[in-house]
Amino acid sequence: MKKFKNKITILIAIFMLSNSVIAQVYKADIIATGLTCSMCSNAIKKQLKTIESVDSIATDLNTNTFSVFFKKDQAIVPSILKVKVENAGFFVGSMQLDLDASYLTSNSTQFININNSDLKNKKTVTIQILDKGYVTDKTYKKLEKQFGKVSSYLKQNETDFHFKIIN
Amino acid sequence: MKKNILLIALAISFNTHAQELFVVTDPASNVPANSISVRLSQSAFKEKFEAGYNYHLMPELTWGMNKNLMFRATSFISNRNGKLVTEGANVFTKWRFYSEDDIQSHFRLAAFGRYSFNNSDIHQEQIETMGHNSGYELGFIATKLVKKLAISTSVSFEQAHDNKPNYKFPVTQGTQATNYTFSIGKLMYPKKYTSYKQTNINLMCELLGQTINANGKTSLDIVPSVQFILNSQARIDIAYRQELLNSMFRTAPNGIYINFEYTFFSVFK
Repeated sequence: MKKFKNKITILIAIFMLSNSVIAQVYKADIIATGLTCSMCSNAIKKQLKTIESVDSIATDLNTNTFSVFFKKDQAIVPSILKVKVENAGFFVGSMQLDLDASYLTSNSTQFININNSDLKNKKTVTIQILDKGYVTDKTYKKLEKQFGKVSSYLKQNETDFHFKIIN
Repeated sequence: MKKNILLIALAISFNTHAQELFVVTDPASNVPANSISVRLSQSAFKEKFEAGYNYHLMPELTWGMNKNLMFRATSFISNRNGKLVTEGANVFTKWRFYSEDDIQSHFRLAAFGRYSFNNSDIHQEQIETMGHNSGYELGFIATKLVKKLAISTSVSFEQAHDNKPNYKFPVTQGTQATNYTFSIGKLMYPKKYTSYKQTNINLMCELLGQTINANGKTSLDIVPSVQFILNSQARIDIAYRQELLNSMFRTAPNGIYINFEYTFFSVFK
């Protein structure tokens, strides 16, 4: 009986995991800070390319915006992108993700809707990550005041991602 | 006083906007983590007291261990005694310990250390652990980037040892020096980016000062340079070094630098 229960638990776990993987993150738009030259930009691009789930990257060299497109059915954690930008020697000034709304609900322990805005039954949404390290220092100082009452936001837990809906 | 006026004049003439991959000084920024850069530095300096040029060749390997720490190894080859001979080598490390980044700007601080050995003869009062003296150097760097303009300054302590096995450091000379640098660089081209393949052109100017601690003897050099960045991955520097002020004995203060560098990004994942 105990073995059977374990099997059921494993099956449920697999189901939950697979459920969270099926929902898709399509694209991340990252603005990097601290650079102006194309060699620096190239360093970031080459770092982002080392992520296996990355399919292609388009860059706007004048604004240092990296549009990262992902392969199908891959679980994407925003912190991987942040680490790669920082490895190149720079920082993330803004990160927006285009994804299935169901990705947020199925990973709700990880993705926190900071102002509880309505997803309005949308299939796909664009969100911006608002945590420290995902916005400029100046912006973070403003957000700290704005969301001071959200206790998880101030904890700066690296595995929680607070987001607002852009579109 | 002369130096101050010069610094202000330089700052004004370049004004806003650039680049910090300087030719003879290091910025507070590091090479990207997991990347390897290969550099071949060459210099030809005119001998003051004899005919000809003192040619130095310095192959160099730089590794970004992580985002804040890098290591570099350089070997020193020169024709000082007639033919090209490997005279020594050094190891260099730089730790970026502070970063304040914003859109198209940053302010960064770093600490660095260098240890060199060299077996050539000691022929001048100037202390130079990059290719002339055995010894070490410890210092700090501050770099500010605003849009296309980069400004960087450093201060360091340099200690010379005997150039073993054959050459003792002359007892009449000071073995310790204080170095100070000021560098400014500006991205001149392209005005607007369209691709990674565009050649970037940077104009730079660096000031290098040294004071021998024991006797206050001082030198100040200026190094204007032009730099080409090819394919966002390779770099060519052409620079000229000219002595501005000097009260120490130096054998070949003026000359040119031609450097080639190629960066292998994300060699290790």
